[in-house]
This record gives sequence, structure tokens and C-alpha cells, in this order.
Amino acid sequence: MEGPAVTMILAVMYREYRIRTTSLTWAFYDLIMPLTYLLLFGIGLDRAFASGITAGDRTVGYNAFFLAGVLSMASFGIAINTAYGFFVDRDNGIFYEFLTYPMTRAQFLVGKIMFNCILSIVQAVLTISMGTLLLSIPLHWETAGLAIAGVIVGTGGWFFFLSGFALRFRRNDMFNTFINIAYFLLMFASSLFYPLEGLPDWLRAASFANPLTWHTDVLRFVTVGIGTPGTIVIEAGAFLVFLTVSFFFAVRTLQHGVVK
Amino acid sequence: MPEIGPVSLILLTNRCRFIDWACTHPVLAISMSNLAILVEDLVKVYEERTDHPVRALDGLSLVVRQGEIFGLLGRNGAGKTTLLRILTTLSRPTAGTVTVLGLDVVQQSYAVRRQLCAVLQENAVEIFLSVEDNLSTYARFHSIPRREIGARAGAVMEQFGLREYRTQKVIDLSGGLKRRLQVAKVFMVDKPLVFLDEATTGMDPINRRTTLDAIREQARKGRTIFLTTHMLEEAEELCDTIAIIDKGKRLAVGDPRTVKSFGSRVVDIRVTYAPPGPASVARLSPFPLMRLEHRNTTIDVALDADRISPFEVLQELGRLGTVVNLEVTEGSLEDAFFELLGSKGDTPAPWRDRP
Repeated sequence: MEGPAVTMILAVMYREYRIRTTSLTWAFYDLIMPLTYLLLFGIGLDRAFASGITAGDRTVGYNAFFLAGVLSMASFGIAINTAYGFFVDRDNGIFYEFLTYPMTRAQFLVGKIMFNCILSIVQAVLTISMGTLLLSIPLHWETAGLAIAGVIVGTGGWFFFLSGFALRFRRNDMFNTFINIAYFLLMFASSLFYPLEGLPDWLRAASFANPLTWHTDVLRFVTVGIGTPGTIVIEAGAFLVFLTVSFFFAVRTLQHGVVK
Repeated sequence: MPEIGPVSLILLTNRCRFIDWACTHPVLAISMSNLAILVEDLVKVYEERTDHPVRALDGLSLVVRQGEIFGLLGRNGAGKTTLLRILTTLSRPTAGTVTVLGLDVVQQSYAVRRQLCAVLQENAVEIFLSVEDNLSTYARFHSIPRREIGARAGAVMEQFGLREYRTQKVIDLSGGLKRRLQVAKVFMVDKPLVFLDEATTGMDPINRRTTLDAIREQARKGRTIFLTTHMLEEAEELCDTIAIIDKGKRLAVGDPRTVKSFGSRVVDIRVTYAPPGPASVARLSPFPLMRLEHRNTTIDVALDADRISPFEVLQELGRLGTVVNLEVTEGSLEDAFFELLGSKGDTPAPWRDRP
């Protein structure tokens, strides 16, 4: 028999599931958009850089380089959509009603994050399947499991980070501005679309300080083998610290920023 | 022996700081376990650490008994929503104690939430889900067995006239329908305590009546209903106990008759004139009336009999035209409300002329 905690977590997940499966808008942003990046933007640049793209000491096709970027973008995008969902929920009042439901704040967050992780796994499987079947990306299958784990951890980190902000912002216009700025700054000041070696010093420094770079580099290492193990371990550690800090930031916001 | 009303009860419980919930109260000889809510010296201050702290609740004490419909009245900013937020664990008290069914709302907030369901002031509905999905997700959050959810949702949709919108996304519904759905949700579950914050706001008269009937039915089944409303007639009709608060303090509490007695010096007069209606109502301006409403051929007046003779006012009203009907009644809850708030020095607009 299900205990109350499991029942509550499943209820949160069921709610997310119904929202996602009854709306094409959500399905597009969570699942389709990253794939269109891979299949349109990726293919375009793959043809433009026909001789391949050099990252570190390796030269690979742009599609292979970009695969990790799409996985990372999907984690980031799913987290943004969930943060936006948090904001909408608070804006229309249902969020406060949730807080009167017979569940703890932790169960609420766990339900949310578990659904997001499942969504990101589905997204990663779709992206990897498309990449290998349609674009013939030479995937390192022996570390594919690590790629899935990386996607889950990445989704968690961004979910906690962005949700903390979504719960703090009061105004729709402010939140939209924040999300747009975060989207452009974090996506383009990172290794998501291009290698960092050729960038100007200031942009390279900014990109190295960006958790999206850490996440993308780890995923790139485990999917196509670009990167050095020493650097990847440091980046993975840095991302775990980012995840931990973001988790406490989100929990604190939920406990003290919302319930005053 | 005089009956001990809720007013006395609160005065006594205020002196009794440490109450053993399971025991019989030593003075009142009633079991404390019959109480649904006990609020003692509750203080809530917002922006506490700033130069301009806001004291939303200021030493408020209330008692709500199990199975009763309790109405909380007050103007905007009186502290109603703040109290509701504390009772539903959405907010923490600055000082004082609040127990819900014997559970402390701060120390045992999770256990408190297991006993209640709430309709909050906002249109709290799942805008991206259909009407039916809203009901079924709500039921899941309240641990209703899956096999029962469909039947309950069907019955609730039928009761609240939502069946034809069953598959429609809530984002496409009107404000009134959203509100109806929000209220309907609490009837999906069987929690012993129901909080309704201005539940009937925005509803048409038919749905308002349905909602009031449903609330009454739930109270008959033993659920405790705690509601806030701006509609005084609704509170008078529905509630077993009414409390009026202002600026975070309690002004009056008791059954509707007791609270109305705070306005017992108030006399309501309604005069209907033959067409074309009364001459200028400005002739009544020398009288310090509590309320004057003029609509078509009818004039409604409320006055404080301690300050003005009703007969003088009646004489003057008689001079305004040919009287075809005259009603003189004791004060209503609305009169008591105005009088109580007015006694604090800022009566809310007693003179109202309707075209």
C-alpha cells in the first residue's frame, strides 16, 4: 500500500503529467524544440563547417560536437519551463493552494523534480536516437548511461536554480525579462554552441564560470569523448556544488520567501 | 441561568493560557475537544524589521466549534485573509497561539493540513487542465481512492452545473465558472475543516444559492466551515457564529442575533411612494442618519434611535410624497457592521444615493 509521502509525490507527478500531455505547447517546448535545434540548426552548421570543428585536440563533425549542447539545452529548457510553470501557478493562486494540501514542501519539490527528470530522460533518449540514427553521430555507447545520469543531474541543478527565482519574482514582466536575459547570457556565454578555445578572453572567462559550460562539457565527454578527464572531473564537481547550493536556495525560498 | 455565548467563551479562554485540549474546560464545563479552532492573542506583523511594520492582526482571539459555520466579516484590510493564511499554515504568527483540531499550526503544520481543505481568494484553479482533470488531480492530492474519483467528480460537476464544461480547458472559462470550479473542488473531499475565502464572489444568484446549499449540507454532515465574506446577508443567513474584525482586532462575535444586537438601537425604515416618487431627499440632511438610500420611488433609511427620534424622521419622510407602503424593522447585520466600524471613528460611507 502506498504511504502518504509516495501518494503525494505521485499526485504531484500526475498533475505535471496531465498538464504536459494535454497541451501541445508544453510538448513542443519540452521535447520538440531541442530536436529542431539539432535537426535544423545543427545540420546547417554541420554543412557550413564541412571540415569539422576542433575542440581541444580533436576534430569532429559539428553534429557530434553539438549533441551534448542539445542535451544540455534540453535540461536547461525543461527547467525554464518548470520555473515558468511555478510562476504561472503563483500568479493565478493555485501555488498557494498547493501549500495548503496535505503534503510537505519537500514532497512537493521531489514530485516536481522527479517528473522533470523523467521528462529529461525521454528527451535525452529522443535526442540521442535522432542523432545516431538520422545524423550518424558516433556515440560512445559504453558511457551512454553516464550521459543519462548527467542529463538528470543537470535538470535538477537548473530546476532548483530557476525555481528559486520564479518563487521570488512578483511581477510577470520582471520574471520574463530575467528568464530571457538568463537564457541568452547562459546559452551564448557557454560551450553549448561552439568550442571556447577561439573566443576572446573575456567571453572565454565568462563561459568557464558558467554552470551550463560545466554541464555541457561533462555531457560532451561522455557522449563523444571530447575533453580531458582532469578538467571534466573538476567541472562535474563544480556542477554538483552548483546543484547543492541551488537546492538550498530553492528550499529556503519555499520555506521563508513564500510562507512569511 | 444565562446561556454562555461565544463572546463569553472567548473572554474566559483568554484568561486560560494553557489549555489541555483533551480535558474539560474548568470554567465553561465544555470539552475542549469540541473546538475546531482556538485562536489566542494572535499577532501578525508584516515588514517587521522595517521602519513601517504593518500590524495585520493585533491580539485577536476566536473560538470556532466543530460542526458550525463560522463567518468572519470585516472590511478590506481588516485582517481576514491574514487570519485565514495562518489557519491554513500559509503564514506564521508573529505572536500568540493557534490550534486547529487540537494541532498547533506552527509546530504541527503538516498534520493541520491533513485536516483541512481551502478555497482561497484568488481564482486558484489549474488553468492548463480541463474541468474534470482539475477535480481529479485535487482528489488525488487529498488521497481519495482512484476508483471513487470518477463518481465523485461526476456528482460534483452535476451539483455545480459544470458537466457541459467537463473537457474544456479552464484557461478558456469565464471568471465566474473558474470560481465555481474552485469552490466545487472542496466538495470532492471529506476533510473535517473547510476554509472558504469569499467563496461566492463573482457567482450568479443561482450558483450562489447552490453553493450556499452545499455549504449548509456539509455542515449538517459535521464538517466545520470557516468562511469570510463581504456579503452580510449571506453571512446572516448561513452562519451559526459571526465575528467582525477590524484593524486586526475583534469587534464583535456571537450568533447572528447577538451580533445584530450591537446594532439594536438601529431602526430601518423603508418608505415607498406613489409615482413620481419622493420630493428631494435633501430635506433629510439635517438628520444624522446612518444610511440613506434613494432608488426610484423608494427610500431606505437606517438611524440610531438613541440619537434621533424615529417618529421625527417618519414625519419628515411623510412630507416627501404620497406614501403607499411603510416598513419599520429592527437593525440588520449590515447596520451592526456599520455601527461597529463607525464606532471606531471612520464609518464607511453611510450616505448612498442610487440612481
